[in-house]
Amino acid sequence: MSFLLVIIAVTAAAAMAAMLSIKMETVKRLQINVNRLKRSLDEMDEQAKLIVRTDMELNKVQQELDKRTASLATLQKLSRSISGVLEVRAIFKGIKASYLQELGFDKSCAYLWNEREGVFLEVLSIGYTEEETAAITQYINSKRHGYWEWVLREKPFSSISKQENKFLKAEEIESVFKTTSFILSPILPAEGSKGIFFAGTANPEVAITEGDEELITVLANQISQSLENARLFERAWTTQQSLEKNVEERTHELTVALDEVRKISKRKTDFISSVSHELRTPLTSVKGYASILLEEKLGKLPDAAKERLEKINHHSDELVHMVNDLLDIVRIESGKTVMKIEEQDLNGIIATVSDLIMIQCKNKNIKLETDVQKSLPPVMADRNQLERVFINLLGNAVKFTPEKGKISVKAKRSDGAVEVAIADSGIGMPPEALTHLFEEFYRVDNAVNQQVKGTGLGLSLVKHIVEAHKGKIWVESTVGRGSTFYFTLPLKQ
Amino acid sequence: MSLDIGIGLSTEKDYSLAAKEAVRMAGMDMVSEKVDMAIVFSSRDLSSIGLLKNIALSIGGEVPLIGCSATALLTPHGIIKHGVLVVLLSIPATIQTTTAYIQELKNKKGTEGGRELADRLLADFKETRRVMSLVFADSSTEDAANLVAGMRERLGKIFPILVGSLSGNRQPHRTYLYFNHSVLMDSALGVLWGGKLGFGLGSYHGWKPLGKPRTVTRSHDNTVEEIDGEYALKTYEEYFGTSAAELRKNFRIISMLYPLGISIDNEGEYLLRNAVAIEENGSLRFQADIKQGSIVKLMLATKESCFDAARRAAEEAKRNLLMGLANESSKTLNKRVVFVFESLSRQMLLNKDAAQEIKIIKDVFGPDVPLVGAYTYGEQAPLNLGSYYRDTVHFHNQAISVLAIGG
Repeated sequence: MSFLLVIIAVTAAAAMAAMLSIKMETVKRLQINVNRLKRSLDEMDEQAKLIVRTDMELNKVQQELDKRTASLATLQKLSRSISGVLEVRAIFKGIKASYLQELGFDKSCAYLWNEREGVFLEVLSIGYTEEETAAITQYINSKRHGYWEWVLREKPFSSISKQENKFLKAEEIESVFKTTSFILSPILPAEGSKGIFFAGTANPEVAITEGDEELITVLANQISQSLENARLFERAWTTQQSLEKNVEERTHELTVALDEVRKISKRKTDFISSVSHELRTPLTSVKGYASILLEEKLGKLPDAAKERLEKINHHSDELVHMVNDLLDIVRIESGKTVMKIEEQDLNGIIATVSDLIMIQCKNKNIKLETDVQKSLPPVMADRNQLERVFINLLGNAVKFTPEKGKISVKAKRSDGAVEVAIADSGIGMPPEALTHLFEEFYRVDNAVNQQVKGTGLGLSLVKHIVEAHKGKIWVESTVGRGSTFYFTLPLKQ
Repeated sequence: MSLDIGIGLSTEKDYSLAAKEAVRMAGMDMVSEKVDMAIVFSSRDLSSIGLLKNIALSIGGEVPLIGCSATALLTPHGIIKHGVLVVLLSIPATIQTTTAYIQELKNKKGTEGGRELADRLLADFKETRRVMSLVFADSSTEDAANLVAGMRERLGKIFPILVGSLSGNRQPHRTYLYFNHSVLMDSALGVLWGGKLGFGLGSYHGWKPLGKPRTVTRSHDNTVEEIDGEYALKTYEEYFGTSAAELRKNFRIISMLYPLGISIDNEGEYLLRNAVAIEENGSLRFQADIKQGSIVKLMLATKESCFDAARRAAEEAKRNLLMGLANESSKTLNKRVVFVFESLSRQMLLNKDAAQEIKIIKDVFGPDVPLVGAYTYGEQAPLNLGSYYRDTVHFHNQAISVLAIGG
């Protein structure tokens, strides 16, 4: 029995040992699994660390990029707002609080150096009360020499500035300007008032970066450029104002002078008109009595007396002709001559006048040519007056053209008018004569004029007639080679 | 008669003009001429009694008004930094509302403030079925947690409450609350809805867990002293491979982009916690409590995961709203409005793409459903569809909460 108990005990012990061994094995396996799991978790945690660090870097980059993109867009808006402005105060008015807020700043001010008074003058204040602005202005001016030195160094200064500055103290600025971080940038136009631009924030959670510093520097440069533009505009504007004033003064002087000339011209016209009328009456009598005597109605006259009377008659005719020309000029000048403006065929007029002048040409063996452009439209003119123009000009041409010479009459369309050219191969005129040629009583000093008498009124009359037709007249001439007279007449509209 | 809703936006600089324009635009959206309530969001620069009086004047009578100032307004047209948004509601007899406020929130102990606000809301509330409450609080988020707890003591433990916490712990500017003609600070105010109001709420953040789970081995209130037996900051030092001094320089950004996530049983979600300060001994102070023994992980998000969270929040709010609406016809015919409360810290990650979330929510609800909202510093809201039935209103950091109402 006891043996049996021993066997049972041994068997049980063996079984327990086996079970213990199995359990030990299970625990061991579990421990291995736990360790594996722990390792996996640790590995996972290490991976998580890598992910977190990478994510933070990416976030930083992304945030900086987003901020820069947004800031650049705002800067562009700001630039647009101030770049087109040409008045100093208006430039700073263009810097709106909303733009600065978009850039991350809630306070801003700007000062320009006033050379005459030797102080900084406030031109911008955003986010400050009047009292605060006054206190900042006072502070800046109490340290104006230091600030001026800093402005001339052309470098920004900020809460994160790496560079030391003996004039500016970041903590002092943060206290006076009531900000937790800030950026100061000099305003440096090429010429004119330099100054200071300040942007800051009172929000301790906003951190200023180097990117912000660059941004505010760009904005300060933009302000400088706008100030420069405003200065240049002001200079140009002042110059223009001065010029306009000068022009106005000169115009006034010229108007006064012109009025005076008109008055004198009228007096001259009135005088000539009066004298001419006064001359014509006695001349008519002289010519009448001379004719009576010549017709020997009062008795036979000796030949010598007859010869003298014929001269009186001839000179009286010349005098009447001259007085008539003078009266015509005066009438045209004063607008008293009524022009009968009608459509005129230039071909017909040239042909008529050519016929008239042909005899004189034949006498001197001068060749007269006409060349009128085909299908030339009619001109608007007074036929009688126009014939006087042609007769005068062709008469002169014959007069100054030696024997076997050549005269041509050409007409063509030119710039909405008809241009007529009467050219001769005559003795020509010196350049100094051309400027006076159309003046009354002017006669070119040459051999022909010394031999042939003239009134010196013909060309003046021609000029008045052409101008009364709204045309122009001019002359080209070379001594020894001939002259060409040009005039224009308006076409029918 | 059913619920009638109109929203108006003005970006006028003058508060009087802004008030008039926003009310006029909201009125144009409405069929009814009767206005029973106004909800107002404005930028800080427009915050004034004058704004509120002009809104009342433009409405043409005294109606209950609640609202708040915000860093930015969420509108159907995107994110606006300056302006005023007015929501006008014409409420049928089948829906009951009351509004109330409490002041000196900082002096309230524990859940006292929440209880007081709830009592005031309930004071005039008739024997109608209570539906939900929307609360704005000028409080740090830990106070907001107490506020919710206090309100739930009175309103019921399974009662849905959405709290917009409007003051950040390191917020540089003040936030103002609007109640009728008063501009309040250090206060909380809310509206309690009852009756046949349909509503849907969705709230997600989009951050995903990363690395191995860690245990909070020592903490009290919102301060975590040790994680896995080491000082709390060491977790961040290890993950970012940098010294405490370097971490301190950028810790606000780091803690927003990489918060700790507390695993919540049964909800498959993580509650986010931003650290707001590093203590001298390496402890981390968070915006809300982290209980000792909590399992935490470092969290990470991408823009896409944030957009996905916005979509999920909107879809959930829409689904809940449709489920809650009384009958089939009201699901298509009745007016509705979408309120969006978004944590300001999301803007840090999304940056210029922040408006994309608004677009996503609009796409979910359709172009005709008006949308209004504001940036907050955190919200208290149930995490998902059924959670408020399980007594779990959580504080969210960095979440987007979508509240849709209709009826």
